[in-house]
Amino acid sequence: MRKSLKKILQYAFLIAAFVVAVFPFYWMVVGATNSAVEIVKGKITFGNQLGKNFKTLFAEYDVARIFFNSCKVAILTVIGQLIISSMGGYGFELFASKARDKIYGIVMMTMMVPFAALMIPLFRLIVRFNLLDSHLGLILTSLTSVFLIFFFRQSFKSFPKEIIQAARVDGAGEFRIFYSIVVPSMKATYAAAAIYSFMTSWNAYMWPLIVLQSNQKKTMQLLISTMSSAYFPEYGVIMAAILISTLPMIIIFFGLQSYFVQGITGSLKQ
Amino acid sequence: MSVKCEIGNYAVHSGDKLKKEETVVKRLFSMLLVVCVLFSIFGVTVMAGGKSGKITIWAWDPNFNVPVMAEAKARYQKINPSVEIEIVEMAKADVEQKLNTVLASGMKEGLPDIVLIEDYNAQKYLQAYPGAFADLTKKINHKEFASYKNELMTLKRKIYGVPFDSGVSALFYRRDILAEAGYEPADLNNITWDQFIEIGKQVKKKTGKAMIAFDAADGGLMRIMMQSAGEWYFDKNDNPNIVNNEVIKEGYIAYKKIVDSGIIKKTSGWNEWVASFNKGETASVITGCWIIGSIKAEKSQSGKWAAAPTPRLNLKSSVNYSNLGGSSWYVIEKSKNRAVAEDFLKTIFAADQDFYQKILVEQGAVGTYLPSQDGVAYTKPDQFFGGQKIFSDFSTWMRKIPPVNYGLFTYEADAALMAVMPDYLAGKIDVETALKKAEEQLKNQIDF
Repeated sequence: MRKSLKKILQYAFLIAAFVVAVFPFYWMVVGATNSAVEIVKGKITFGNQLGKNFKTLFAEYDVARIFFNSCKVAILTVIGQLIISSMGGYGFELFASKARDKIYGIVMMTMMVPFAALMIPLFRLIVRFNLLDSHLGLILTSLTSVFLIFFFRQSFKSFPKEIIQAARVDGAGEFRIFYSIVVPSMKATYAAAAIYSFMTSWNAYMWPLIVLQSNQKKTMQLLISTMSSAYFPEYGVIMAAILISTLPMIIIFFGLQSYFVQGITGSLKQ
Repeated sequence: MSVKCEIGNYAVHSGDKLKKEETVVKRLFSMLLVVCVLFSIFGVTVMAGGKSGKITIWAWDPNFNVPVMAEAKARYQKINPSVEIEIVEMAKADVEQKLNTVLASGMKEGLPDIVLIEDYNAQKYLQAYPGAFADLTKKINHKEFASYKNELMTLKRKIYGVPFDSGVSALFYRRDILAEAGYEPADLNNITWDQFIEIGKQVKKKTGKAMIAFDAADGGLMRIMMQSAGEWYFDKNDNPNIVNNEVIKEGYIAYKKIVDSGIIKKTSGWNEWVASFNKGETASVITGCWIIGSIKAEKSQSGKWAAAPTPRLNLKSSVNYSNLGGSSWYVIEKSKNRAVAEDFLKTIFAADQDFYQKILVEQGAVGTYLPSQDGVAYTKPDQFFGGQKIFSDFSTWMRKIPPVNYGLFTYEADAALMAVMPDYLAGKIDVETALKKAEEQLKNQIDF
């Protein structure tokens, strides 16, 4: 009896958590099928406005281009961050020196500087480099992620050092060791980092807002923000845009899900 | 110019070595001068013949300001085909964030030529960034705009913007529900808040419906009440003026009366508020004229609505005309094409009467350019409002709105007053204590 009661309570809790987690998604999908007035009235069942909402969205905004912009920035940022941050983490973990921990500490401390404090100097920098209103201005400024350096270093801690020493004995250079031995065996870590990196880049809002100037350069988040600032927002159309905007994340997350869990738990071991 | 300098330098460095070369350089130099002069004359004639260049405009609201600007752009480009105009759409908060960041960075790059600024925030920008916005006092005939609009964009006797949309407030009500409770439209004309509450009680009694939806955290109603008496949270020197402000006190008391009378439906946030009248749960809405779009969105209520002047406070200074919200266009002083930007605003927003008819019909945008308001669109009966010429009425009311300088911290003051409101409404503190607390809180926040 007691066992089954425990089970029931467990499931009740899980179902409640499931509803809390999934309801916003459900509402988003349902919202995309309803008109603004219906959404405001609180309708949460499927409607028949899906086609109309998408039609309006594509007619009023250059969604394809904006979606491409977001993809371009996110993918290039992910590639850059993975290469640079993983090399950074690897270097910090593997090459001991007197200054290492001090430098590492300083690097970690920069995580605590709020972006608001960096925004104006960064903006001036971008203007000087003539990178205003360019995607390069977004990508270059986010090439390194301090969090990912930390994340990679934690993962590399669990990598057996003997293998690296053996490779050195066999005459492999440090880059060779990194690319042909370490990287291939840390796929899960890279996958987890890729998801994290993609998510932050895809959702980036403040910095793209400041750097990008013209309508053609916009990213999805800026488009959605634009749409929602109206005296009478067209919620149905906004939901349709949000739906499109969440797709890549869903695809990437489910594609790399198994790695993600492995990578996160792996990095915490030790 | 740079070419000329380089040749000049060349002459200095190598001139004393080779005299022949020196004369050649001199000749080249004079030829260049002639070319320069010709170019500048040519350039000037091009400028005089028709405007050219590119102007960038930042605005928010894809259903309102942006299409209005698009219409203005099309009209201006018909006259000046070589002017390129880019309208950059952003959310309102984004426009503000971006403008603040770029102005604070002190860079010339990354700014638009024309920017839309909400009226309540105008002084904040004008005073925080002196010299950032172009003085338009002599460029635009501000007398042709509703006078309350000019006041809010005036700093040290200079007028900085081109007034755009009005938030002239009104008491929008459901004819059918009011009739059921025994009221004629005339009964709602030029009433006080007390009368409004009495009517509300009858409506509640006879129809069971709430008179208005009410969000105790929203300071909009307070702003309507204050402006109806020509007062604001701040005095002429921008110092908080809350404790000894009769108007705010009266407004605060009115808030409590409204809540205590039981005529309200409590809502929270914009969506619930709009839903309350879309669903037909409330008999009236008191807010700015821009709400019409949301009212009309519920097509089944066509013909059932009407608009009356805003209720007034029990004060001699208070009138039945007020305002909520609205925004205006500003030109950036350092803009490369400032002359074109100014000409654009002048030609369309301060002269084109037909333009104002079009944006009223298409976007429901009620402008503040008075000469345009005798036009066809303004004087046409509106069937949704039972054939009432509401825009004509708005136009009349708009002229009588008491001008107010909103100061720098409207939203901060709003938040402070609304933060103490729950305690006052619950009867825990009296009105004097509440206002004292609010003023202290405001002073702490903005560091007076």
